[in-house]
Amino acid sequence: MALVDIIIVVVFMIITFMVGAFFYKWVGDPDDFYVAGRKLTPFILAAVITATNVNLYSFVGQAGIAYKHGISILWQTWTGNMALVFSGLFIIPIMRRLRVRTIPEFLELRYNKAVRTLVGVLWVFRLSFWLGVVLYTAVIAAQAITGISSYTFWLFVFAVVAIIYTMLGGMWSVAFTDVMQFIFMLGGALIVLPLSMSAVGWMPGLIEKLPEMSFTLVRESGTYNWKFILAIFLLGIEWASVDQGLLQRAFAAENTRTVAKGLVLAGIITTPFALLWNLPGLAASVLYPGLENADQAIPMLLSNLLPPVILGLVLCGLISSQLSTISGNLNGVATLFTNDIYESLIKRKASNREILLIARIMTLVIGMLMIVFALWVPKKGAVEAYLTIIGVMDMPLFIVGIFYGLLWKRSTATGAIIGYLAGAAAGIVGQFILNYDFTITTFISAGAALVVTPLVSFLTRPETENKIEKVWQAKHISEEEKSSGDIYHIVPQTRAGKLSLLVYVSGVVLFIGGVVSGSGGWPYASLVAVVGMVVYFLGGYLKVNTN
Amino acid sequence: MYFDWITWGIWLLGFIIFIIWIIVPVKEFRKLLADRKKKGGDASWH
Repeated sequence: MALVDIIIVVVFMIITFMVGAFFYKWVGDPDDFYVAGRKLTPFILAAVITATNVNLYSFVGQAGIAYKHGISILWQTWTGNMALVFSGLFIIPIMRRLRVRTIPEFLELRYNKAVRTLVGVLWVFRLSFWLGVVLYTAVIAAQAITGISSYTFWLFVFAVVAIIYTMLGGMWSVAFTDVMQFIFMLGGALIVLPLSMSAVGWMPGLIEKLPEMSFTLVRESGTYNWKFILAIFLLGIEWASVDQGLLQRAFAAENTRTVAKGLVLAGIITTPFALLWNLPGLAASVLYPGLENADQAIPMLLSNLLPPVILGLVLCGLISSQLSTISGNLNGVATLFTNDIYESLIKRKASNREILLIARIMTLVIGMLMIVFALWVPKKGAVEAYLTIIGVMDMPLFIVGIFYGLLWKRSTATGAIIGYLAGAAAGIVGQFILNYDFTITTFISAGAALVVTPLVSFLTRPETENKIEKVWQAKHISEEEKSSGDIYHIVPQTRAGKLSLLVYVSGVVLFIGGVVSGSGGWPYASLVAVVGMVVYFLGGYLKVNTN
Repeated sequence: MYFDWITWGIWLLGFIIFIIWIIVPVKEFRKLLADRKKKGGDASWH
């Protein structure tokens, strides 16, 4: 790596820090810190969500899988995008109407404080650990790409800068640095795609040199086959409905329709974006075949193909992807602690000034914890451990909080707590005692929560109608929407709205039909699934723009 | 000279997103800034 590239990275870091620190003065109360005063507009929101979701795993890890297994890994991102659209159209608008800042806060509204505290405490640790994994993978990838092996240097690049600006400007800093970082990461990907494709003789060269299977999107067999697509789609819906790091940004939207628009736009723009980092993975498999560690493919491609200056700019894009993920999740954990533990349990009548101080201190503390985890996790199999946490903790939360919480009035707080714990326990047994893989563990934990929650709910006293009514009422338009005139109907009311829903549902049917037909090796399965996805996005886009 | 329509088509889509997401957020940020100045506060929106 040339000196000029290092200078470019350092200048980029300084600019990022300055942009983040600029928003310090914009934070006057906790809502500014947690949810940017609920002022974010659709395009800003879409960039923020995309920047948070796309990280070095996408550019290095997922492209590495494309290197090894072919293009079908694209579905990991594409189904996640479809899940974002689903959540944006049907789930998150309800939360936005309730004006919650965190999922645990929603759980108190729907159930009680005990459910809120249990999930809040667990999620503080869950996200802190996730941050450690993110930081660790960032350092490892950066070392491989640049050849700079100094752990301290990369720790500074990825952690210290993000901690300081997040601490100062909260969600305002996170949002606008995310927009800038989104531009850099997309710009970097736009540079890498043509360079890598020209090196292999463009698309015809790629097709000629790789087996046909590498280009099959829906496969009959293999690791990333049609069952994987369906499973990851379901997991995506769970993620897009309960992930604090993601939802906190959505709660920052200026109104209900903006939430829906922002999430739909984020899903749509990340879809072609995913091709920009997966095709270079395929190109790397032609240029550097037989690498033992597929994660080395993209670092090798970058260091061999990119000239100085361009390498520096692309590096800024890669660093951006990780900084945005770290800062967003840091803000998420600080919010969880301050909102769901400090304000809810420790000091209920704390002043705004005091709450802001605690939120900033917590950002620092969680940042330190992230560094400690980043040093510890490699010895413990970080990624595997994290996947286990998702299976064990997230899926039961989705079942208890979203599935029963929004669809079944009879589910009770005791049913929710015991259902959640039963799901988590079943996940632990599946993973550590029965030694099932991550996907099966996820469904075991979901199944346990799905069965236990209603059983216990039937044995306990129903929640009062008043309590549930507030949540149920949020499925309909709110006073805030009526007064602003910007109304979003979850169930469309006009003919155009109903037509858009029909297009959306047609997309779902086509997509699932295409994927399932892949089980019999139907040659048009991939085409039908992709067309289904496009129709799905079109329906989603039309739905947020009609009523 | 060969022109790869698929690669450049994907690239163009990405480039359009790139341009839109430079222009629109800047415009929206200016509006936020103007709203903020109009409200006269320096420390908060509220």
